[in-house]
Amino acid sequence: MLGRRGATEAAARESSVHLLRASGVGKQIDEAVLLLPTDVELGIAQCVVLRGPNGCGKTTLLRILAGTVPPSQGEATLDGAPVDERHDLTRGAIAALIGAPATYRDLTLVDHLVLIDSTWGRRGQRADDRADEILELLEIDHLAERFPHELSSGQQQLFHLSMVLVRPSSILILDEPEQRLDTDKRNLLTRILLDRKAAGSSLLIACHDPAMTEALADTIIDIRPA
Amino acid sequence: MTGAQRSQLHHVRAAILGNRPDTSLSSTLYPVYVAVIAAGTYGVPATQELFRSIDATWLAANVQTPVGAAAAVTAAVLFLALVRLVGRVHGPVVPPLPYLEMVVASPMPRKVTLARNWRLSLGGSTIGGLLVGLVIGAGGAIANVAPPVVIMPTALGGCLLGVLVAEFWLGGQLQGQPQGQLPGHLPSQPQSLPLGFGRGSALVRRRRDALALLGITGLRRQSASNVTMGGAVLAGDLRTARLEAARPTTHARRVRLRAGRPLVVIARRDLLGLRRAPGTALYGLGFAAAGSAALMLSLVSPQTPTVAPLISLVLCHLGFGAWCEGLRLHADNSGTSRLLGLPYRDTALAHLAVPVLGWTLTTLVVGTGLTLTGPVTPAMLIWALGTGLLLAGTHLMAAFRGMPPAGVFGPQAGVPAMVFWYAKPVLATLIVGTATAAWAVRSPAPWSVFAWMLIATAGVVAWGLALVGKRDRRS
Repeated sequence: MLGRRGATEAAARESSVHLLRASGVGKQIDEAVLLLPTDVELGIAQCVVLRGPNGCGKTTLLRILAGTVPPSQGEATLDGAPVDERHDLTRGAIAALIGAPATYRDLTLVDHLVLIDSTWGRRGQRADDRADEILELLEIDHLAERFPHELSSGQQQLFHLSMVLVRPSSILILDEPEQRLDTDKRNLLTRILLDRKAAGSSLLIACHDPAMTEALADTIIDIRPA
Repeated sequence: MTGAQRSQLHHVRAAILGNRPDTSLSSTLYPVYVAVIAAGTYGVPATQELFRSIDATWLAANVQTPVGAAAAVTAAVLFLALVRLVGRVHGPVVPPLPYLEMVVASPMPRKVTLARNWRLSLGGSTIGGLLVGLVIGAGGAIANVAPPVVIMPTALGGCLLGVLVAEFWLGGQLQGQPQGQLPGHLPSQPQSLPLGFGRGSALVRRRRDALALLGITGLRRQSASNVTMGGAVLAGDLRTARLEAARPTTHARRVRLRAGRPLVVIARRDLLGLRRAPGTALYGLGFAAAGSAALMLSLVSPQTPTVAPLISLVLCHLGFGAWCEGLRLHADNSGTSRLLGLPYRDTALAHLAVPVLGWTLTTLVVGTGLTLTGPVTPAMLIWALGTGLLLAGTHLMAAFRGMPPAGVFGPQAGVPAMVFWYAKPVLATLIVGTATAAWAVRSPAPWSVFAWMLIATAGVVAWGLALVGKRDRRS
């Protein structure tokens, strides 16, 4: 067992570091403006927190920077190249939790983590051990043999976070990771993310929790409502 | 039902209807009217043509024999088993939610409040069976393959099958109730289930007992599911309908997915999924074995009617499809955050490993058995193995077809356009598979036909991969 810091450092260490940048990116569909032009620069081992009222475009900005949605204007780049989730470089560097991720209804929690870990073809420590460690890290190891439909909403959120944390990445993009978590679990998540940052990961987070924002943020960007 | 209960139920129905006229009788009779018209207009001529297209010698040698009778009984038993499975998800007694909450949940006896729904299902099933029996008998008589008097036994047989369908359907509904709602909590009720599920005295008595044993939780779940599935079908969202119909997995939770290389772990995932859904795995095995056997046997003689490979390919498509749940789940997940390290297309192809392997092994075992016993040659076995690639392609098409285009919802398009859009994958299986099989069995150079089948299969696989790419770009 590597412990909390060991597990997060191991995941972060396996991916090389990257620079993520948004220059004047905005999103508009027909007449509807989803995001006004915004600049973001995420440096190595930094944490940028996006704030703003509901509907101001935080999630849209995260989607653009995760490479799942193209911007209508401006440019989003990873190491100077356009961010596109279909490219290996983007997928290898960025782990994103924006909305509920894909789950298989016939796999247990630990099976999901083993599957995700194995598809990244990582060497060294076994995928089974890494899966157990992540579950333990998020204090949901007692739920390892449950199926996703057997979880409460808070447990679902922790499970979704575990799926993002188990895969190698150098940039974590999280959309309101604190949602549905109680105070203890928010504190736990803050500690895990701080460890990730200390291990070299960059964090881009949309967050409504002032305590988490204060603890994590190197830069805070207030998104203007469209 | 006592007079007081009848009166109480009458008042309840009047309260629910309010000022609206009671159209329940006309809305019940209208589907029967449409079914009778459809049976007479389309059913009898189609059956008649079917009988005429079948070689009389082949019919005498294969159908009107003890083996043919045994096959018919086996098919009926399999059909009833399928009906029972359907009952677990959607039973014959599913009143609307408001009626459930306001009437069925009241202290009135459940066998009274649910009797009307049961009578409608039983009546519909019996009339449906009667019409099927009449259509088969009349078609056979008009085509001169049987004397007119055959209509009597086929109609009676149809009626009996209809009653059995209703009973097995109700049995499935009872068995599919949430745990703790099965017989036992009602001490005054005898612990008997509908036909085939327990002891008991008279059929009617057992049925009334069964209605009394239906729990409100199970009824509510099926009714809510009915609404969801109805909406999903109307919106053309088969994914929601499929996930709604599936029972949540709870089997073999202690069996862990073994880590491995990326493509291997995807295949292991699918195997584990089938292990956790043993019913689906066995259903796939049964249909794949029956379908591949029928396909190989249909290649034996040019006298075999074209409908034989057609039916066998339907079985093949269903059997192969039962093993493709991993592929469908992968397609369902498009548009969500991707966490797997493999590219989207590679993951889709990796999900085909288990069904293709399952098909190959099943066909090899069945084909070897049929080859050793005589009727099938190794060439026919190779043909059936090649059909596995066609099935892989059409199931790629099915899994990644996405939502129907807006055009099929237009007033000019209507239901046929939507049905055609959904049926494209199975039509691809049937058209390519049946046409090439019928051609090969009559051709002096069957290997050249086999080559054409592989070319058509390559086209189907390319079509499936194009749909995968389309979903990849959209997600």
